[in-house]
Amino acid sequence: MTIKVDRVKEYEALLDIYEREGLDTSLFGDRIAAIIISGDRIIGLNNVPGVEIKGEEIENGVRADVRIADGVELPFPIHLCTGYLKGEGYQRVEFSITVGKNSKVKFTSHCIFPYAKDFTHEAISKITVGENSSVLYDDEHVHGEGVRMISKTEVDVKAGGRYTGKFTLTKHRARELKLEMTAKLAERAVAELTSKVKAVQDDSVEIREVLLLEGTHSRGDLKSTVIAFDNSRVNVVNEAYGLGDYAKGHVECHEVVKGEADVQTVPLLRVKNDKAELTHEASIGRINEAQLVQLMAKGLTEDEAAELIIKGLLGE
Amino acid sequence: MKMLCLRNVEYEKNGRKILHGVNMTFRDGMSYSILGPNGAGKSTIARILMGELKPTAGGVLLDGRDITGLGVTERARLGISMAWQEPARYEGIRIREYLTLGGKLKAEEDEIREVLELVGLPYELYAGRMIDKTLSGGERKRIELASLLLLKPRYAILDEPDSGLDITAGELIEELLGRFRRAGTTVILITHHDEIAGKTDFAYFVCAGRLVKKGFSREVVEYYRRTCGRCLFVEGSP
Repeated sequence: MTIKVDRVKEYEALLDIYEREGLDTSLFGDRIAAIIISGDRIIGLNNVPGVEIKGEEIENGVRADVRIADGVELPFPIHLCTGYLKGEGYQRVEFSITVGKNSKVKFTSHCIFPYAKDFTHEAISKITVGENSSVLYDDEHVHGEGVRMISKTEVDVKAGGRYTGKFTLTKHRARELKLEMTAKLAERAVAELTSKVKAVQDDSVEIREVLLLEGTHSRGDLKSTVIAFDNSRVNVVNEAYGLGDYAKGHVECHEVVKGEADVQTVPLLRVKNDKAELTHEASIGRINEAQLVQLMAKGLTEDEAAELIIKGLLGE
Repeated sequence: MKMLCLRNVEYEKNGRKILHGVNMTFRDGMSYSILGPNGAGKSTIARILMGELKPTAGGVLLDGRDITGLGVTERARLGISMAWQEPARYEGIRIREYLTLGGKLKAEEDEIREVLELVGLPYELYAGRMIDKTLSGGERKRIELASLLLLKPRYAILDEPDSGLDITAGELIEELLGRFRRAGTTVILITHHDEIAGKTDFAYFVCAGRLVKKGFSREVVEYYRRTCGRCLFVEGSP
């Protein structure tokens, strides 16, 4: 890992936060391809054979270009760490990720804003998954009390490619979150977009996931799970478009509400090809009564049962 | 004497009477069936015993103490537990986690293995699996039974434990009854299958919300077969 001399302290501060939050510090090792961003600066950069990461510091943030060659299969994830260690401000990160043909890679993306009180983070990502390649993109967040986050990801999955995107914000406050993920699928391409968010107090969450099933035999799943407590507001829009012959898509949204939370889910399924097939399932409401009572019959209190159910839903 | 009792229990829903003055006694260390056709009110009795439903009249007594006002958790903590007819799914919860109630029930891995294998679920294949839609109703039923085996309650209410299971259900029930007996658990088994009811020590035959016959299970089952499960005679309350 190349760390600029004047940025060692920030690097160490980020490592401390990883340790405190139970995140994997081995991601900072030399065998891992990585870009470590703090504020508007690149504080660490590491490339490994088959992976080329280039970074550029721009106004209020960083632009990064990540290229994976053809036929690359990495034993370790590629680490994208975006940190902001001050309480206030604005940060914009732009990622352009291109994965070649017949490659298999995993990205572990961490957004670390533990001290944010009045902070806006904007992330724009464009991801291209090459023919017959497989990409897993795992996005996890450590937020302080005051993060306004706007995240927009566009994924283009080429023929026979597979993309799995996971967004998780469950252990920290969402505060103000606008999350938009779009996946465009070519012939035989597969995509799964999963988001898990917990909203509390007066958090505001907007999630929009879009699946464009353009290719023949393309398949996709959108799955959102939101726990909304207190006075939070949540709006989830899941859109799937069946365009290619024999394209198949499934949209699933589950929202558990407690307190005065205001929650809405809108599934939009549109087919423009009579050979395509789309399905959806959605639920909004209190925690399922049958689940609660069956756990209570084993001796848990209602609160203990609810906590266990929610932990399961959020995959904690 | 140590026992769980229903005393003159009535239950009404939407103006329709579902239970009519039902009296039942479950003595510690014995096994009981509540036998009857579909819609007889058997599951309602189970849910009243568990505290999920409150009777509109009458009460539930445990060792002479009125526990009618107690909720599900409080009753479970007094040793009354239940395996449900339609076990719920739990997205993201693994079987091991469910059996140990998220770590609240201390159990050795060997004990988990034992109860899972006893209900016909190989430990290696199941302990780490999620209780989600990838499991069949029969598999979830077996998990419910395993959870009670691990919990070792004083009273285990098994609501239709054989439904949704394959032809080995009879053998499994027999095995479970033996296991619960050895653990000192009183079994209250809800069923509409006379051959399953015949495996317990005593039985209550319920029809149209009324107690029709009670006694040794073989006598009750014989009566049930003779009457083809119809309510030809309503026995007075014991």
